[in-house]
Amino acid sequence: MVYEVKEEQSKDGRKVMRIDREHLLDLVKDLKADGYDSLSLISCVDFRDRIEVVYHLFNSKNEDILVVKTETRDSKVPSLTSLYESANWDEREQYDMMGVEFTGHPNLKRILLPEGWVGYPLRKDYDLSKTQYVNMDDEGEDRVSFDPGDGW
Amino acid sequence: MVEQGNLKNRLIELNMGPQHPSTHGVLRLKLTLDGETVKKVEPIIGYLHRNAEKICELDFYCDALIYFDRMDYVAAMNMEAGYLEAAEKLLGIEPPERVVWIRTIMAELSRIASHLVWAGAYGLDLGMLTPFFYVFEQREKILDLFTEISGSRQETNYMSIGGVYQDFNDKIVYLIREFLDQFPKKLEEVFNLFVKNDIFISRTKGIGILEPDVALQYGVTGPMLRASGVPYDVRKAQPYLAYDRVNFEVPISKRKDNYARVLVRFEEMRQSAKIIKQALDKLPDGPYFNPKAKKSLMVRLRGEGDFYARTESPKGEFGVYLVGDGTVKPYRVHVRSPAFKNLSVLPALAKDVLIADLVAISGTLDLVFGEVDR
Repeated sequence: MVYEVKEEQSKDGRKVMRIDREHLLDLVKDLKADGYDSLSLISCVDFRDRIEVVYHLFNSKNEDILVVKTETRDSKVPSLTSLYESANWDEREQYDMMGVEFTGHPNLKRILLPEGWVGYPLRKDYDLSKTQYVNMDDEGEDRVSFDPGDGW
Repeated sequence: MVEQGNLKNRLIELNMGPQHPSTHGVLRLKLTLDGETVKKVEPIIGYLHRNAEKICELDFYCDALIYFDRMDYVAAMNMEAGYLEAAEKLLGIEPPERVVWIRTIMAELSRIASHLVWAGAYGLDLGMLTPFFYVFEQREKILDLFTEISGSRQETNYMSIGGVYQDFNDKIVYLIREFLDQFPKKLEEVFNLFVKNDIFISRTKGIGILEPDVALQYGVTGPMLRASGVPYDVRKAQPYLAYDRVNFEVPISKRKDNYARVLVRFEEMRQSAKIIKQALDKLPDGPYFNPKAKKSLMVRLRGEGDFYARTESPKGEFGVYLVGDGTVKPYRVHVRSPAFKNLSVLPALAKDVLIADLVAISGTLDLVFGEVDR
């Protein structure tokens, strides 16, 4: 598969590869075949007009770290769950906190916050002045509301 | 009334936790059971979530430390060292040589304390009460050392950007040496309580086998990974602090089971004691903070760019991804929590085991929920 990779060096000496999200899966597939057998971390950074998704890949043979960066303007990125098992929880965490939709994820739901939470807390435009209350309903499921009387 | 015949081949859903005593905090496991055999495990987390990453974004760089203390609260020193590894690179502050050695000593003491808590709790999981008292006696001695130097037992907040809160004096060096003199003998006593116990051996040997390729797929690190035979330790792979100037070995085991994880953690404690002894001998003189980061300048520190620092916490590879935008506050802090990854492997690890074995397996993960949920 032909794709264009921009390689650079970060300030602390990590090797960084920039790729557009259409070719992310192909690149990571090739990197995995090259020996990067573990996905260490998925982070998202909200730059207001775009969200940067940063993957830290780990090679267990030479114990090296490689960074793959891609960005999205409509909060959609292909999921890496088909390549790495650890992407499952990592992508759920980023979906929970940043609202990035990982297309192709088998079970994309919130992991740390209860279902029904309004907004994505780590986004820069998240409204911190509004308190949300979590309560348990008769079925034993979490229920989120803005009304303090409804909560505690 | 359900007739007994109808129960055959019927799967039952059962919740274990979040208040179950053997889940070490607030882990909730949704089990699908066939009789006593676990068919499916679904960990449900988030009960201790307070979004430390967002709180860090709202404060100055130096303020984030206290939230890192409260992530892995049984190994606070390792968390501080991990955050500072990234923050000092971002802010361009070099810690003086003496500070580097002091931090190495504190991080290793903290690692011993964390492994001791794990050993005690794991004994309790398997129904052994005795080791708990032995290990907590030793841990209490370490916490006394922390109190002596930082004024606080667990959430020490001892390290700061470019330095430490208080310099090592002769008294603390003497106290640490005194602790190290009696520690190895006491550790062997505890170790024998584990490995010379037939019940313990039959509950750990051959149970909870984690293949190395599965472990890497799930991003498992630390003692868990080394017990599966992969010799990855950040202290050796990418040395930070003073780890490239001390002699120690990275214990690995090829057994891959619960027993291997016990052996690896005990050996790590012995190695940590070795590191502390060497570091005390080599402790150089000098200032204990960088004047560029003295208290009045602390809130004016700025940095730009993205930095990732990995360190070896007692649970595994603790990573901090830090993005600065040139202001006095971090733009984004993201934590790679090793316990989070180690927990994610539990559904693969505990398939078709008995409920009692599930407790024995989840005990070896060494979960601390302050860190999993952040």
